[in-house]
Amino acid sequence: MRVSKKIVVLGHFGVGKTSLIRRFVEDSFSNDYKVSIGVHITKKVVEITAGNQVSLILWDLEGTDDLSNIRDSYLLGTHGLIYVFDVTRPSTFENINGDLRIVGEKLPNAPKIVVGNKVDLVVPEDLDRLLQRQGITYDYLSSAKTGGMVNDLFLHLAKMLSSDAKKI
Amino acid sequence: MLKKYKDDYFSDNVQFILTDNQGIVLESDQSFLKIEIGTPMEEVHPFFGSISAVQELSENTTFFNCVQLGKNAMERIVDIEMHKKKEGVLVMVHDLTDHYVSYQAIAQSRNESIINSELVVLKNLELQEREKFKNQFIRNFSHELRNPLTSIISITNILRSTDLSDEQKKMIDFLKESNSNLKIMLEDILSIGMIASGKLHLDHKIFSLSDLLELLRFTYSARAKEQNLTFNLDFGTKVPEHVEGDRLRIYQILTNLLDNAFKHTKEGSVTLSVELNQKWANRASMRFSVSDTGAGIPKESIQAIFESFHQIETGNGDGSGLGLPIVKGLLELMGSKVQLISKLGDGSKFYFDIVLKEPIHTLATTKRNKETVANYQKKKSLSGAAKYKILLVEDDEKVQMLLFKTLLGAKCFNIDFESDGAKVMQTVLQGNYDAIIMDVSLPNVNGDHITRLIREFPLKQIKKIPILGLTANAYADDIALYKKAGMNILMTKPFEEEELLNSVFKLVSN
Repeated sequence: MRVSKKIVVLGHFGVGKTSLIRRFVEDSFSNDYKVSIGVHITKKVVEITAGNQVSLILWDLEGTDDLSNIRDSYLLGTHGLIYVFDVTRPSTFENINGDLRIVGEKLPNAPKIVVGNKVDLVVPEDLDRLLQRQGITYDYLSSAKTGGMVNDLFLHLAKMLSSDAKKI
Repeated sequence: MLKKYKDDYFSDNVQFILTDNQGIVLESDQSFLKIEIGTPMEEVHPFFGSISAVQELSENTTFFNCVQLGKNAMERIVDIEMHKKKEGVLVMVHDLTDHYVSYQAIAQSRNESIINSELVVLKNLELQEREKFKNQFIRNFSHELRNPLTSIISITNILRSTDLSDEQKKMIDFLKESNSNLKIMLEDILSIGMIASGKLHLDHKIFSLSDLLELLRFTYSARAKEQNLTFNLDFGTKVPEHVEGDRLRIYQILTNLLDNAFKHTKEGSVTLSVELNQKWANRASMRFSVSDTGAGIPKESIQAIFESFHQIETGNGDGSGLGLPIVKGLLELMGSKVQLISKLGDGSKFYFDIVLKEPIHTLATTKRNKETVANYQKKKSLSGAAKYKILLVEDDEKVQMLLFKTLLGAKCFNIDFESDGAKVMQTVLQGNYDAIIMDVSLPNVNGDHITRLIREFPLKQIKKIPILGLTANAYADDIALYKKAGMNILMTKPFEEEELLNSVFKLVSN
């Protein structure tokens, strides 16, 4: 059985959304930063359990520091979302709760995963302290560069969406 | 003609596709996307999987701007319109690749600039944090060193006054000299920390410049003799005798430059020159220079020698490498800059210009001879009065014992002890003391707090008791805080026996 699920990946610019998708879909990485504009869509089929596949349609949205500016049409038919921030740039997570509230209002029923990316660039203990001090909660700390936790986070969301599909 | 151009434009840039309600292609004009009839649109590109979602909307038309179709569609960037029709959905794809590529270049430059400026801010914050940590470390480090150093200096002095063999006396003299060097290094570390944190403030007072230079002549002539060198002091005749400035810091600058010159000179001479550049109103611009016939400094090291903890390779590994950075920092505070002329193998000349006020009237105090401990002792003995009653408040037993011995040695004091801050007030009320010597850092209640309580006490004979504070915190803001609390004199650890006795006598005599 295969179900198709639309996932939007959003967050501030330069946080590594495109790199996470590229690592997940193509298992590749580039250090060069190329800005994403509009939306770029890719697809990857993952197997959740034997015979159960989920076709993930990944919408890589242009980064913005004001999520209320995201075009509503981009969010049409969204099943799940991944919110990405950059652990090396506090400006990308200082207002994370406000951002998630906006996203929650736009997509009230979509399961979400919160990801701090670029962990390869920081000392883990310092990062823990910083995020704790700022009261930031997250689901995954990833590195698109090394591939750390990238597959896990996408598979986690795929499983959440797959179990939602069964409930329906 | 115009219609032809218009048709040509649209045929190249806009594609019309008609699908049924399930997203199966019914018709396509094949402008730039080659799509077979009957193909599910989802297979053309994953984007078109959203058609079913559009179908569920009440609106008849939905727009998608700036959709990157990627490799499947030859890297086109398009706007897409979807219109609900009775057959299904009419999809209009506008190829705006050229427009969006130029927009992308602008966005790239904007985002990179924002990210770079954020990174610069973060880097600066990190540097500030490091600087703060370094200064705090220096502060704690110097504080922790002061107590043991006070004990070492006091024990050395006490030992020196006992019966010793000539060899033992010689060893104690070496120990005394090492203590002095250690104390100077501690002061240097503290100075560099205070300069870096902006906490060093200049204390301008009228002083005799000629006395200061004579002191330097006396000190460095002896040193020159030890090293078989010549020390010259050129003091221009027009240089004012009295000036207004921070004597201690000018002395610190000159001794650092002279120490540096002596350290790097094996033969020949070291010369200190002071010349008047010009005078106007009551100000005098003077040039101070220290030149030597030493090893000289390689060109590539000239910049680095003014950085903290830097030492050039001359074989003279002694010293902390803090002398010249202190000179640089202090002169910057005075609005001046240290200059250097040097050539490897041909000696060095450090010089700077400073502007100092030339006072119209010199204060009598500048010439007044200071009372010595011996004078105080003599006066006390001649007066026939009872010994001064002193309360010594110090929790460190070793320091307590050393202070006791020093005070007892003067034969003018009766001493009581207290080590617990919480019990001091009670002792003071019962004791009828002439003075209190009190450590600032005490268990339970700190010395500055106790001082405040004493100063606020309603009985005059209690609130007026003179208090000498002892502290290992040498920062000006701490000292100011303790003085504000009501301490009459503050002494920073470590101190010499003579300094302590002088201060205590001064306190009780007033």
